Amino acid sequence: MSTLDQYEKVKKANFIDHLAKTLNWEKFLFAVGLFFFISMIIFPFYWMVSSSFKSGAEIAGRAPVYIPSSLRLDAYRELFDPTWKSFQNFGSNIINSLLVAIPTALIAVVLSIMGAYASARLHFKGREWILNGVLIVYLFPAVLLMIPLFAMLSKLGQTFGFNVQDNLVILVLTYLAQTLPVALYMLTNYFRTIPDEIEQAALIDGCTRFEVIWRVTIPLAIPALVTVGIYTFMIAWNEFLYAFIFLNDRATFTIPIKINTIFNDPSPRPHVVMAASTIMTIPIIVLFLAFEKYLSQGLTSGSVKG
Amino acid sequence: MAETASSKKRFWLFSKSMHASEVRLAWLLILPTALIVFGLVLFPAIFSVWISFHKIGLYNLNDVFHAPFIGFDNYKAVLNDFAFKWGGPNQWGAWVTTIFYSFISTFLTLIGGLIAAILLNRPFRGRGLARSVFLFPYVAPVISVAFVWRWLLDPRPSGVLNHILINLGLLETQQAFLATRGLAIWLVIIFQAWRYFPFAMLMILARLQAIDDTLYEAAAVDGANSWQKFISITIPEIRYVLGAIFLLRLLWTFNKFDDIWLLTGGGYGTNVLPILTYQFSFNMYDFGKGAATAMIMMAALVVFIIGYVLIIMRNSEES
Repeated sequence: MSTLDQYEKVKKANFIDHLAKTLNWEKFLFAVGLFFFISMIIFPFYWMVSSSFKSGAEIAGRAPVYIPSSLRLDAYRELFDPTWKSFQNFGSNIINSLLVAIPTALIAVVLSIMGAYASARLHFKGREWILNGVLIVYLFPAVLLMIPLFAMLSKLGQTFGFNVQDNLVILVLTYLAQTLPVALYMLTNYFRTIPDEIEQAALIDGCTRFEVIWRVTIPLAIPALVTVGIYTFMIAWNEFLYAFIFLNDRATFTIPIKINTIFNDPSPRPHVVMAASTIMTIPIIVLFLAFEKYLSQGLTSGSVKG
Repeated sequence: MAETASSKKRFWLFSKSMHASEVRLAWLLILPTALIVFGLVLFPAIFSVWISFHKIGLYNLNDVFHAPFIGFDNYKAVLNDFAFKWGGPNQWGAWVTTIFYSFISTFLTLIGGLIAAILLNRPFRGRGLARSVFLFPYVAPVISVAFVWRWLLDPRPSGVLNHILINLGLLETQQAFLATRGLAIWLVIIFQAWRYFPFAMLMILARLQAIDDTLYEAAAVDGANSWQKFISITIPEIRYVLGAIFLLRLLWTFNKFDDIWLLTGGGYGTNVLPILTYQFSFNMYDFGKGAATAMIMMAALVVFIIGYVLIIMRNSEES
């Protein structure tokens, strides 16, 4: 036997020894658990993205195609290319969703700055009452509110001559009603952590209240404002039920309603549904990853209902 | 002085004192939010009670405030509806389905969140990234993830679960899992646990990281193994946060509409109360009956919350 063989043997024994020393039940269970969770989470997302790049033939084949043969853009062309058969004009749905989500986020931020400043800094009767009342909104689920909202808004629309259905402004208002209380609550708590003295100093220097809010309070609260803005944007972007009830005209469909329509089409085209879902999910995941630190804090304070 | 004080009290709206102008400003700042929340949440909530006692359909929606009062008829109609009441083991009815589904999925969510939190509480390379990935199901839009699940569970030969089970020899032919009574409700429950465990995980993780390390060190000195440490240190330390998450998640799951609607449309034994509310109001256009269903849901929730709080309070008094 050559010395080399012996050397190999010793090395192998050492390796197994090493493995036995480092590997114990706890670590093994930990690795298995982590693998289980990661694959359970990642696989559906992988399936969504990969399916969106498959051709119709691959989708309807005799077995699932785990890795698409090439990045086919059939599904995306059906969504965006006007020359494609059964063109979906998905661009207009993206614009509708943005037309709802961006105003909701901006208005929610502005209104909650105003409200939170009042309830954190100014002294008036009923301040605590308002803050507690705001949390009661948490108790009313969307399914409870959809009927009275629909009835009430139909009546108002009749009286004042505006359309309740297919009206994106109505949708923005209902989303605001759902998100403002939480936004107000989060911002009030944040404003209370900013020392009052800075604002007092600015007031003494002769600034008006609005200058104080604009030049002192808002710059100091940027992280909280970003959190509130992104939350409300995400809620409005993802929302399904109210949009489902209020939108009937294809031209006003937001992304979720459009995806639902494509899904329920008599000729099923999962790759198109997955392409639309991918387009809808990516901005949310990117926003989440970019602002994860703030958003996780918001999540643990229980600020998002869902 | 006394006069200005009293006039300030009575006429803060018109008074010129510093305090009065501050109060005016405060109300002015809070007014838009208050109007929106009152007009689109509080008033509709009260209005919903009113609707549940009246007969309202599409035909008189334009004249809703003059709808005929019919007392408890809507409630009777709901309680006697075959979709609501218990109709034997093959036809659970919405209320039994709702209770079964919301309790079991909340429980699974909590277990999943606890295991995930324990995994992530251990330092390892890439922990931050893993934590972000773990949150994906919770932040992704419900419609995308629900439809991916439907596509994974698809009955066609290209459906992944069918393919895997047939290859493993566990199934002979393709199955429509989400259209199988008995199985569909469990898939909905698993979907809920998959989607919402990250919420439980974040809250539990925050609490786990606040546990004093010396407790574990002391237990190690006493010769406790991991399981003993878990049972006698970790669990008591996170008991209250577990209770809080359970309550919160149960409320939200109980009221959930989108997830089930998108997965099964409420068919095949997955018809829960929120979906029934929707069907009564927007498929049958019987808004009174829909509102009555929603009120029954709310009443059940309130009773449950009161019971839960009473039990929790009694337990904390004892200990």
